[in-house]
Amino acid sequence: MKPDNPLVTGLALVAGLIFLSPALYSIWMSFQAADAFYAGKLKFTLDNYALAIGQYHFARYLLNSIIVSGLVTVIGITLSTMAAYAFARYEFPGGNFLFGAVIATLMIPSHISLIPNYLTLAKVDLLDTYAGLILPAISNGFAAFFLRQYIRGIPRALDEAAYMDGARPWQVLWRVIVPIAKPAILSMGLYVFITEWNNYIWPLVAVGKEDLYTLQIGLARLYRLNPGEGGIDWPLVMAASTITILPVLIGFVLIERHLVRGITMGAVK
Amino acid sequence: MPRKFTPYLFVLPLIAFIVVFTYIPILTSLNLSVREWDFLSPDKPFVGFENYRLLLDSHEFWNSLRVTAIFAFVSVPIRLVLALLIASFLVRETLSARILRGALFLPFVTSTVSIAVIFSWVFSTDYGMANALLRAIGGEKVPWLQDPAIALWVLILVNTWKQLGYDVIIYIAGLQAISNELYDAAAVDGGGRLHVFRRVTVPLVMPTTYFLLVISVIEAFQIFTIVNVMTHGGPAGATDMLVNMLYRTGFTLFDIGKGSALAVLLFAILITLAWIKARVIGRKVHYEA
Repeated sequence: MKPDNPLVTGLALVAGLIFLSPALYSIWMSFQAADAFYAGKLKFTLDNYALAIGQYHFARYLLNSIIVSGLVTVIGITLSTMAAYAFARYEFPGGNFLFGAVIATLMIPSHISLIPNYLTLAKVDLLDTYAGLILPAISNGFAAFFLRQYIRGIPRALDEAAYMDGARPWQVLWRVIVPIAKPAILSMGLYVFITEWNNYIWPLVAVGKEDLYTLQIGLARLYRLNPGEGGIDWPLVMAASTITILPVLIGFVLIERHLVRGITMGAVK
Repeated sequence: MPRKFTPYLFVLPLIAFIVVFTYIPILTSLNLSVREWDFLSPDKPFVGFENYRLLLDSHEFWNSLRVTAIFAFVSVPIRLVLALLIASFLVRETLSARILRGALFLPFVTSTVSIAVIFSWVFSTDYGMANALLRAIGGEKVPWLQDPAIALWVLILVNTWKQLGYDVIIYIAGLQAISNELYDAAAVDGGGRLHVFRRVTVPLVMPTTYFLLVISVIEAFQIFTIVNVMTHGGPAGATDMLVNMLYRTGFTLFDIGKGSALAVLLFAILITLAWIKARVIGRKVHYEA
């Protein structure tokens, strides 16, 4: 990477800060005492976070979001990788048809299944449970498609060698394919995790019990239902918003490259 | 060596989830859309196309379709033009380009609910950043989210802010695929910067543009979160997008028949858009090496 003219770099930094200013200011605001904020003064405090975590249960929502997004990612990526492997390596009757059915889900708007999925889960008594939040989000046609393309790029000779050594198909997948496809699997995993972390409409319909709120639902409710004195308590809401953003933000900073590669590979290939 | 049923075992779990949570629901929606039901009553009488007729006769549906179409067909082209211009500056591998790419991309991975809440503050009448800036240059307070003529434009702005970085990243990947020789050739021919942009860059990233156009329009037709958090479809229906109407019909009014009919119509609209895309892309886009 070329380090360019310091002036240009400085300007770029300023432009970036202006673009992000609403979000940056919201984080700044979350550390202000509400009364001072409305009086136009500065007073740093952690009270908003204490309030969000204590009285408004954001620690619980955080835990729920981690559980739901984590399980959706692990189960979803496992199933996608298994299917991708079979689609990439086997010719089998109905294989093309099934692969077509997987690809077609990319074109199907998820909202057509909103009411039916609600009814399905009501029938088996899984509304207001973790399972109810997780199950409809598991299947991911894009991940399966993307991983299949990646696995097709891995030389078959590696599989053959493993079969010679007496490996079973699932051992080939686990010992040969998965280690080589690890970068692709990680990119996709990250993408699925962030998508699920930010999912809103499904938890909104599937969960009524406060114990099971994810961060997104908790934040939307707090914003809607918690007016402070003479209006919304913005610093408190922004503390809750910061808790909602932060885990993904940290992950993004750590692994930006992986994520960007995952997203662009899917688009340009 | 692998046995005959091995591949089926590998694909079965994924296929099972897809069938239960994607394909059967399409059939369920079709079935419910010709019935009358409120979630509770034991029977669901068949009413034919009554739900569709009610929808197509209602001001509510046409308003919602109009608002959604404006949202999609105004915001997407603006975003793509902006994104291509920005991408052609940020395609270089320099520190400043890297910083700006990171800044632009951050909103895309940020929670949409957070973004909606943050911009509800930015555009709140009394304490918001937008009105503070207006006051600083001597303007009057604007009730951004309470004025039916303005609220939709605020949502377009917020969605642009969120999605722009994604478009830029995809365009950069598209631009990187264009060979430098073409630029050199255009420069030798004596083209200015603008000329090269119009004659080389724009046509060569056409496949990327079509890709972004289609997925962005489809995504715009399904917008829900920022509407639900920021305006609830108001004021006076000015931001009542299709999915917001679907949510209200199904989960607030419990009119399952009408909600399902609306879902089927939304599905039909998006499939039509996808079909147009397949036709157009199939014909026009093949500049790639």
